[in-house]
Amino acid sequence: MSGPSPIDDHRLRFDDFDNSDIFSKKPRLPAMGWNSWNAFGSGNTEELTKAMVLKIKELGLDKLGYEYVVLDDGCYHPERIDGHLKADKVKFPSGFKAMADFVHGSGLKFGMYNDIGTRLCSGAEVGIYGYEKTDCEDYFKWDIDFIKVDNCYYMWDNATFADPENAKYSYAPVIKSIGIDGVTYDAANAAITGTRAEIKEDCVAFIGTFDGTAPDHSPVGLRSSEIIFEINASEDGIRDLFVTYASDAVEGAGQWLQVAVGEKTCFDALLAPTQSRETFTVSPAIKVELKKGANKIRIMNHRRQENTLHSYAEIRRELENAGGRDIVFSICEWGKTQPQNWGHKVGDSWRILNDITFQVGSDGNHGTAAWECDYTTSITSQYNKAVIMDEFAGLGRGWNDPDMLVIGMDGIDNIMCRSHMAMWCMMNSPLMLGVDLRRVAKGDEIYNIIANEDLIALDRDPLGIQAKRIFTTYECSEPDKEYIRDNNRIDILAKPLNDGSIALGFFNLSQEEKEVPSVSTDEILNKTGGKTVNKDLFANAKTYRIKDLYTGEAAETESRVFGAGTLAACDSKVIRITPVS
Amino acid sequence: MTTEVFIRELCQKAGIPFAGVFERGRKEGWLDAEDEVYKDTPITRKNVARICHMYLLKAMKASDLDISGAGMLKDLYDCRVCANHVAQVYLRGIMDAKNIRRDGEFWWFDLNGEDDDAYNSAAIDRLLLIHVGDHVHQDMSGS
Repeated sequence: MSGPSPIDDHRLRFDDFDNSDIFSKKPRLPAMGWNSWNAFGSGNTEELTKAMVLKIKELGLDKLGYEYVVLDDGCYHPERIDGHLKADKVKFPSGFKAMADFVHGSGLKFGMYNDIGTRLCSGAEVGIYGYEKTDCEDYFKWDIDFIKVDNCYYMWDNATFADPENAKYSYAPVIKSIGIDGVTYDAANAAITGTRAEIKEDCVAFIGTFDGTAPDHSPVGLRSSEIIFEINASEDGIRDLFVTYASDAVEGAGQWLQVAVGEKTCFDALLAPTQSRETFTVSPAIKVELKKGANKIRIMNHRRQENTLHSYAEIRRELENAGGRDIVFSICEWGKTQPQNWGHKVGDSWRILNDITFQVGSDGNHGTAAWECDYTTSITSQYNKAVIMDEFAGLGRGWNDPDMLVIGMDGIDNIMCRSHMAMWCMMNSPLMLGVDLRRVAKGDEIYNIIANEDLIALDRDPLGIQAKRIFTTYECSEPDKEYIRDNNRIDILAKPLNDGSIALGFFNLSQEEKEVPSVSTDEILNKTGGKTVNKDLFANAKTYRIKDLYTGEAAETESRVFGAGTLAACDSKVIRITPVS
Repeated sequence: MTTEVFIRELCQKAGIPFAGVFERGRKEGWLDAEDEVYKDTPITRKNVARICHMYLLKAMKASDLDISGAGMLKDLYDCRVCANHVAQVYLRGIMDAKNIRRDGEFWWFDLNGEDDDAYNSAAIDRLLLIHVGDHVHQDMSGS
């Protein structure tokens, strides 16, 4: 394989990310169900899955919306057989179709897992790359209703287990200058878009896209950089452009170059490698078509996003070609390529970070989760990023996915689990249980959290608006946009609902008791803007019905100010405010 | 050392039969299908970590340790499926990591690396010496 595919479809291009979707997507609310990964890791089996199906029915979780039963990594035979995916014969002796039939026979929906790379994250050599058509036809035969697609061993980016040198596809070379009509234009004097690129020793590096797998970077704003030269042409015509560059194959300096004049791409290919990152060379002539007057020549590389979108689009296309089955498409590239920009074109949701836990369970072992940590592996790590991503989500667009629920795992208490559930419901996240349901009984603490109908109703609200952070005690000017990782704070989230109500969530992120500030109806409406249904009614109501979504207690009030008193460490309060008159 | 030889030595030292171990180990939850399919290929460090950790959990009935102490391994989170395996064997002193930076600290487990026979044999010895209930076993980070 010599490199990533040419991208002829403009809808897969960076310049088109904000435009319409490629596929006709069914507007749907975030998926709910059970996924095998957090509960059993690679050790899930047919017997365990059937037990989960029976428990979903016994507990009535299906009636609350938990409808998808998804087999994650570890379910396949580690090699293809005659070019096809097969079930692991020890774990799933009856095969996937029989598993699907069992799930469907119970009135539930069946989901599976694959990976855009050559292997699955577990190492099994059954990644979908190069087998998109075959595998999607098999998935269709197995009657799947949901597919989660991972990003390990990917060919065209330095993803997990991929060749680290794949970074050469993800970044432009270090650029020193361009030459056109015998004039040299220094890169250091060109305009730089975004905050990714940087000037060092009169050259520009990091022309590409932030890697969003780790929690280091905000998802808001332009997440990639180009350099733009303004060139005045005396007349229309095709010119030769020369780029002086040095290549590498690391994050920040690659080998793949894209050149565009305005929105017209003139060059999109791998340049010849240079001897080192310090040894500059001049590219072959690149033909560019200039118009008389000012022209914007863009030196860039958006392939990190475009390649990944292209790979996911291939799968989506083959799923559609295989038949008309309604399949939820869950993108799981861990936020690496900023999928909040392009995920809506192919998927129903997109993971925003690396995993919420790396200590998954196994049969007899609950696994371990955390409230906070420096990396992605905690409830607050995922929340802190997702909470400022509301403008990327929506009905018909898709949902930010801060990973599966860790409720029921060791390492977190019931207060943390309840706040976790409330956060995910307020943020319109997919609700995929990751607990061994055999441990759950109706009325116990785990059940009461995962079966809280009032919270689930927020996630299932047909208006489909992710809550906005309208206030935080952390000092900042834009609480809905600023990426805050210091958990010593209280957040207040507001979520407009279809019946004209607004859900208000107060979250104490810290590990100590805190007084909670109050907010007024005016502050709520100012921040939720035009998204509130019947804003005038909410603004002018004389009384409001307030329902505490944890206790179920309801009361009416004439107050226009709402608070939560004092919240214990990691605790939260969610109320539903409905204008009465 | 191939995967098969590693598993054979583990069986021998643990006093369990090697015959039928691939099926038995999978049913008991400490071997994977790939161990049999790729039994003739050299065993990687991440697979040594996986087998040792899962044997510890499933056969020796140990409980997992808190893995925050392994956060200094720079490649720990490169592997979502083996991060816990790596952390557990590292924290228990079954396998080590290397500081690959001369002028500072950059601890590297080397997930896809391969160790020599003597190292793998010693890892099995260290695994089988663990008393369930022990916590951080020993710090081998300087080796």
